[in-house]
Amino acid sequence: MNATYLAIDLKRQLRDVMNIAFVVGLPVVMYIVFGSTFGSGDEQQGAANVKFYVMTSMAVYAAAVATTSSAGQAAIELLQGWGRQIGLTPMRPADYVGTKVLVSLVVAAGGVAAVFLAGVCTGARADSWTTWLYTGLIAWLLSAIFALYGLAIAQTFRSESSVGIASAGLVLLAFFGNLFVPLGGTILTIARFTPLYGFAALARWPSLEGKVFDTSGNVFQDELWWLILNWVGWAAIFGLLSVWAVRRGRRRQ
Amino acid sequence: MVESRVSGHIRDMTTPALRVADLRKEYPGRSGHGTVVAVDGIDVEIAAGEIVAFLGPNGAGKTTTLDIVLGLVPPTSGTVEVLGVTPRQAVTAGHVSAVLQTGGLLRDLRVDETVRAIAALHGARSRVDEVIRRAGLTELAGRKVGHCSGGEQQRLRFALALLPDPQILVLDEPTAGMDAAARRDFWETMRAETHEGRTVVFATHYLEEAQAFAPRTVLIDHGKVRADRPTDELRNLVGDRVATATVAPGTARAAAEALAAIPGVREVHAHGDRVSATGTGSDAAALALLTTLGGRDLEVSAPSLESAFFALTASGEDAGATADTTKETRR
Repeated sequence: MNATYLAIDLKRQLRDVMNIAFVVGLPVVMYIVFGSTFGSGDEQQGAANVKFYVMTSMAVYAAAVATTSSAGQAAIELLQGWGRQIGLTPMRPADYVGTKVLVSLVVAAGGVAAVFLAGVCTGARADSWTTWLYTGLIAWLLSAIFALYGLAIAQTFRSESSVGIASAGLVLLAFFGNLFVPLGGTILTIARFTPLYGFAALARWPSLEGKVFDTSGNVFQDELWWLILNWVGWAAIFGLLSVWAVRRGRRRQ
Repeated sequence: MVESRVSGHIRDMTTPALRVADLRKEYPGRSGHGTVVAVDGIDVEIAAGEIVAFLGPNGAGKTTTLDIVLGLVPPTSGTVEVLGVTPRQAVTAGHVSAVLQTGGLLRDLRVDETVRAIAALHGARSRVDEVIRRAGLTELAGRKVGHCSGGEQQRLRFALALLPDPQILVLDEPTAGMDAAARRDFWETMRAETHEGRTVVFATHYLEEAQAFAPRTVLIDHGKVRADRPTDELRNLVGDRVATATVAPGTARAAAEALAAIPGVREVHAHGDRVSATGTGSDAAALALLTTLGGRDLEVSAPSLESAFFALTASGEDAGATADTTKETRR
């Protein structure tokens, strides 16, 4: 990993004001909209209140959008032939992917922080400060797999609109990840296999420890090992696809 | 560091800069059936310090060959050695670098940021200022790449290629899309850079660029080497002109025979009433066509690259070159 290259790439991403507004601003707005649809939002749910639950969902979504879009841009770089330029240096494909993941994690940190700030200001509450800390850290760091997702998707579709495809796909995954509306029944069973589910449930673990609430008041229990397996499994799949995609990016388009 | 320089130098004496043997590259066909043969058995050996042009029309296989030499794509079969090691090893060591025809730049990065980013990857931070100066980018350093002209972007690519201080420099149609002035400037810069004993291999479809810059030219077409010889010889061959005129109906055959007898006429062709004479004696042929042979609609033209290929391959000196190779082979 090369620190100078990383710093230059990061500076470049932060100059893209529109993208930053989209990544940081939209989830905050969504939190305010969703957060106010569940009554007062102050009902206790596990070790925090409902607003904290919604805030966690939107922080997970913000982090995933951030990593997906900055990695998707990386795929566009490769499409524009930057991969060939990089191919003439000692940098290996895995280093390139790693650098992109780090850059997107910095942007994701901004997204999570903005949603958390909105939560603090609007009455999200947890029983302990460690719940805040662990929830934030998990929502931020585990979003790394969506950098791999963005890279893999964008490089598979190989066009400038691929970031849009990846972001649209993310909305669907966020639905299955139980981020927008509480799922139940068969859909919940299917959802457990989708890539945002493990990530989101792990981010809620500090407050809910695997408990899942559906709209009719039923409570289900997720096993920790299954959530970790979900995350690790998808990380491996997206990772392999990304490295393969970078290798392909060295060719002429 | 000093030792590796010394051993590198010794190796230069014995190891060719580039050795390509029986190189083949096939891509899957667009329709999903069959294969497209981009490189069809190329053999080339280039000694250290040589300047060699790969001359050929678009789609001849030049870029694919250079991509393989740079380790950007793997060959289907064959051997490639760059200074005695694999292309990727040579790239990683900074021994070979390139100005790519389709090498991308990031439009929203500044010129100096681009150079510093690639320099960091090469561990060549100390060369940044020198390279920016040598490529003539000092004035442009703070500009966004997307706001630079094509020629300026090409100078940036050239700067990036100089960063590892490579022993071998590969240029893939470096002046494509440049105007005449930018092209001349580019080659003047190149000339200065080769004083350091670098090996330079460049692809071009401009005969003039090969003549001006490379003592040796490798003609590539349909994925094969059609000729590999000193560029001077090539120039003599393409020094030919073609004189063509329309003669009276029924006299074409007789006119062709008369033209063939003129000294300096190497070839004659007759298509209907249209007769042509090729060779250094084209002036005498033109005169004869307009006077004794009663021709009209006279046209004198320089031969195209294609006819230069034809002249070279038809001369019989280049064994193994066949005219009936097709680009797409179905299997």
